[in-house]
This record gives sequence, structure tokens and C-alpha cells, in this order.
Amino acid sequence: MNKKRNNLSRFLYYSARWILGGVFIYASYDKILHPAAFSKIIYNYQIVPDGLINLTALVLPMLELIMGIFFWIGFWMPGTVMLSNILLISYMGALTFNLARGLDINCGCFSTSSGSSINIETILWDAAFLLLSVYLTVAVFGSGNGRTSKQIHG
Amino acid sequence: MFTQKCLQTIWQCTALIVFASLVAFSINYLRNDRLQMFGNGSPEARLMDPSGKRLDISLAEAKKLFLQRSVVFIDARPQDDYEKGHIKGALGLPWNEVDRNFMRVTEDTSPDTPIITYCDGETCELSHNLAIFLLDMGFRNVRILINGWALWKKEALPIESGSSTAGQG
Repeated sequence: MNKKRNNLSRFLYYSARWILGGVFIYASYDKILHPAAFSKIIYNYQIVPDGLINLTALVLPMLELIMGIFFWIGFWMPGTVMLSNILLISYMGALTFNLARGLDINCGCFSTSSGSSINIETILWDAAFLLLSVYLTVAVFGSGNGRTSKQIHG
Repeated sequence: MFTQKCLQTIWQCTALIVFASLVAFSINYLRNDRLQMFGNGSPEARLMDPSGKRLDISLAEAKKLFLQRSVVFIDARPQDDYEKGHIKGALGLPWNEVDRNFMRVTEDTSPDTPIITYCDGETCELSHNLAIFLLDMGFRNVRILINGWALWKKEALPIESGSSTAGQG
């Protein structure tokens, strides 16, 4: 019974890591190729100070790519899941804020090309990824019911 | 144990950001179309002519020129939107059909005539594209009224509808 539960936990843990890793890598790819287009999208969000827009457009996609790779290979998991939480919560804040004030702007979530405006669906997707990230946080830092991260990792 | 885990997490987060920054800066340095690291990403900053003059114009300034009748407004939005309503006297030159209509629409406009392009929305780039196109075509005095249509309506300045592109109001 316990072994079954451990196997299930391990399956969920690895699935969440692979899904989230894939999401981050997929999200970074187009933005790394087109930093100028991504900087324009960041500008349109009207949240980042003008002087830091290009810096953000360069560093953020690379951070996503490295985090995606680390999720896949299971390296530096505490730092990676924590940053993943911070990024996904920030994205949700930015999306909600701009949706609430009625700005019709390109999401820039997975691509720099136009046509993917922010809407409630993008926020729900972000929430789903955040859920995975929070699950991984619990798994990595050890859950409260006595299971340690070591038991899950195997 | 808990403190140790916290410190480890903070250390890893910092290292991840530093590592990502170093890789990103290195790749950017090697690119042909390098992005200026601390450059201003705003459209206003991007919209400068070779001499460094800003191309955007404020609503107050645009209104003043409109009242003096010393400027030609050019609407860069699609023809349908133009016909539904535009700044009074504005010419309609939709960006998506600019090559086809450019000669006809601008035949009465001299290269020295002050021109203001506009479209709708703060992030609309049709007017930007049109302004740069007009500068390339030899018009020397082209400015952009960012979010022009919305601002113009908000100020209740003169507008008209229909497809007529002749004259100044």
C-alpha cells in the first residue's frame, strides 16, 4: 500500500517536473530568437520601468530556458521551483492587472508574434502551471504528512 | 535544517539569475541585431529620425496645428474603420494597402507639408509603420499622434465619417 503510494507520488512528481520544464522551454524559445519583439511586448504591459525593458527581454527568456532544463534534469530543484513560483505569480499579477484595466495587448506568453491577446484563458493556464509549481514546492521541501522529499525522489 | 534549506534556496535562485544573465548577455553580444542592454524600450524612444528628433507629437500640439489648418492628418487604420469615423479632413491610407494607394492619396501633398499619422490604441503600430514609410518616401515633416483616434474622440475634437479623403476641415 505504502509502496503504491510512493510510486504514485513519484509518478506525479516526475510528470509535474517534465510538464513544467517543457512549458518553460517552449515559452522561452521564440523570445530568445526575437528579443526586440519581446521587449516591445514587455513595454506594452506598462509595468516594467522603460530603462529595464531591454534587460528584462534578454534575461527573462534565458532564465525560463535554464529553469526548464533544470526541471528536466532535476538540478537545483529548491531554487528552480522557488523561482518558478515567483515568475508564475508575477505573470498572473501582470495579466490580471492589464486585463482589469482593459488593455488589449499581446500576451507574449509563448510567442512574440501578435494574435494571442491576454484574456481569462491565459490567466487560467498560468494558474494551472502555478498549481504544478506549488505541488513541486511541497514535494521538494517535504510535505507536512511526514513524507520527505527524499521519499518522493526515491 | 529549515534555515539551511532557505539559504540553499536563496543561493540557488541568485545563482540561477546570475547564470541566466551572463548567458543572455553573451548571446546578445554575439548577435548581429544586438539589443541595447539598458536602452529605452518605449515606442517613443524607438521613434526617432536619424538626427535624433522624436517623431511622436502631443495631442495639444496636434490640436493646435489642426486648428491652424497647417497639417495633413493621415489615418493608418483599415478602410472600414476610417469610413466609420476619422479626424475631420484626414486622408485615409490604410497601412495594409499602402503600396496600392500611396500615390493616389498623397498626390496633392508636397514633401514639406507637415503630416500627422494616427491609428487607434496605445500599442497600435500602424501609424508608426506609416510614418516611417512616408519618411522613406521623401516626406520630411512626419509626426505620429500615438493612440490618436481614441484621444481625439475623448477630447471631442471634430470628426467625420464616410470615405471622402479630400480637403482639410
